[in-house]
Amino acid sequence: MKRYMTSAAAAAILATGFAGAAFSGGHASYTIGISNTVQGNGWREEMVCAMKAQALVSGDVASLNIAHRNTDAAGQLEDIRNLIQAGVDAIVLNPSNSEGVNSAIEEAIAAGIVVVAVDQAVTAEGAYILSNNQEEYAYLGAKWLFEELGGEGSVVYMRGAAGAGADNDRDTGFQRALAEFPDIDVVHEVFTGWQQDQGKQQILDYLSTGLPVDGVWTSGIDNVIVDAFIESDVPLVPIVGADNAGFVGQLATVEGFTGAAVTNPGSIGGAGVTLALQILGGDVPESNTVLVDPSIWANNDPEGMALIEAAQNPNLDPEWPVSVMIPGWTTYSMDEIIACKGPGE
Amino acid sequence: MSRLITKHGWTAGLLSILVLLFILTRMIQPEFGASGLDSLSRATLPFAFATAAMAVVVIAGGIDLSVASMMAVAGVTAAVLMDGAGDGMTVVAVIVVLLIGLAMGAINGALIVLTRVPDIVVTLAMLYVWEGVALLILNAPGGAATPWLRQLIVGPFLVPWLPKSFVFLVVCVALIWVPLKRSKLGLSIYAIGSDELAAYRSGVAVGRTRIAAYAVCGLFAALGGLTLTLSTGNGEPIPGPYLMASVSAVVLGGVVLGGGKGAILGPIIAVIILRLVRMDLTLMSVDPNVTTIVEGTIMVVVVMFGGVIAYRGRQK
Repeated sequence: MKRYMTSAAAAAILATGFAGAAFSGGHASYTIGISNTVQGNGWREEMVCAMKAQALVSGDVASLNIAHRNTDAAGQLEDIRNLIQAGVDAIVLNPSNSEGVNSAIEEAIAAGIVVVAVDQAVTAEGAYILSNNQEEYAYLGAKWLFEELGGEGSVVYMRGAAGAGADNDRDTGFQRALAEFPDIDVVHEVFTGWQQDQGKQQILDYLSTGLPVDGVWTSGIDNVIVDAFIESDVPLVPIVGADNAGFVGQLATVEGFTGAAVTNPGSIGGAGVTLALQILGGDVPESNTVLVDPSIWANNDPEGMALIEAAQNPNLDPEWPVSVMIPGWTTYSMDEIIACKGPGE
Repeated sequence: MSRLITKHGWTAGLLSILVLLFILTRMIQPEFGASGLDSLSRATLPFAFATAAMAVVVIAGGIDLSVASMMAVAGVTAAVLMDGAGDGMTVVAVIVVLLIGLAMGAINGALIVLTRVPDIVVTLAMLYVWEGVALLILNAPGGAATPWLRQLIVGPFLVPWLPKSFVFLVVCVALIWVPLKRSKLGLSIYAIGSDELAAYRSGVAVGRTRIAAYAVCGLFAALGGLTLTLSTGNGEPIPGPYLMASVSAVVLGGVVLGGGKGAILGPIIAVIILRLVRMDLTLMSVDPNVTTIVEGTIMVVVVMFGGVIAYRGRQK
């Protein structure tokens, strides 16, 4: 009951026109709302765990109010509006798409709630964006792959989910790299839906045709692709994936395998919580948008290999990105994010 | 007579659950008021149209698994047509979208009638077909919705606690359902759902009625897709979670799977109940992984309880 009274009091203060920053001094127990629309995916689960862990270690969060389910933009509108009704101080969300949830975000901002979008950008005015640069993500990996193939060959292009905003941005980056290498031939393009089983079946189907493949670009469904090559007894070709624990492990241990991981930290969720708390505390960033640029770790490059070896962590779920922390943005320990406990849990 | 009482009894029961839930919501969040009702009503819209769509075919003794995909087609079509459109073009866009809905539904129905393949198989196949069509129209979220049309479902109507979106829902459903139910076609839909052979022997054109029922389903789905575009401001080609939600609401709303019994009011109240439960669980900050378990459990308990009451009613 106490929590509801606290949130009611917070709402009352907000209603009288004070911004969150106005009472940053004495207020150390915020309620933060979280909205995420993909459930059961390793990357998103790490994101949510990073949010919980960061909220816990910050000491400034009394409770988290998490709306975490598989739904569309309309469902996310509902979730955000429910969080507004719950009287949260800030909302950290991974937007379903860049424009579809603007109306609810604007309502939240009008109610005095700090809104931070992580992973993907939103176009709503007044929202803060802490996003992985998805176009650059695809460009970096594709460029490495095409260079590795000497600028010519047959590439299998394994995308994310059809119609998803991040997939669309990545496609832009992939096409940009492709335009630089006119002799690269995309022989097969599929949508994995970011599902391990689906992606594996698709590559098995392709390999069984015996058609040529000189390289594979994946949108993060990566370790199962390497498995498929090994199981089908097809010689491994260069494969690009994300910095998921399973794939990074393969980069270090699978003999004769050349590949590269592009970083795409799910821990961006924890960074989003930090940003929201900074803004609630009156420390407003100069720009509304902070882009986190990816880097590439190739196992045929000593520098990349050193990073790959340093990132080995058998305790992580193979689907989780290994970059579980973002220096300067997250302060939890490895154990704390793996425990995945938020305040009051 | 007893059937009539059972039917209205079910709706009355749902209404009382809804009232109790509203009271509970006020206890959890004393601030819950006009803006909360507006949020709830706007969240309800796409689910309510999906449910109305499903209810019509279930009453006719069928099922349509392609409801969410048809909504996606309607949503992206509306977003593409309305992108940069003026007032006149917007009205045309809405009419085109509704006609496309009717056509998609009629195609589903015609395939079922002509091929004699079971409805569940045909509409499962069409789920993928319409999903592909939606992706062909827009391969990523895009397009736009005309601002004045979007305003139709934002804010209160006349009095602060009556959301425009609720009025929109009631008007649309009433305009389609009331005349339909009172027409010969409406009677035929109930007849083929209740007993196809008896309907046929009484001179009902079973095939045509079935196609018409699926067409009405498509029309409601198109309205659902349109409201998706209006609420988000763009079109999303990937179908949302409306298929299972609509089946749940139809069952919870007292429509018998198998056909012939039920109406649209019950399922729509059921939709509001399911959304309000979701809101309450968020307000109480219940673990999101527990939320779906709670939603599922409520459904089973209510339907089971209702079944027991109906059974006792019959025994008396």
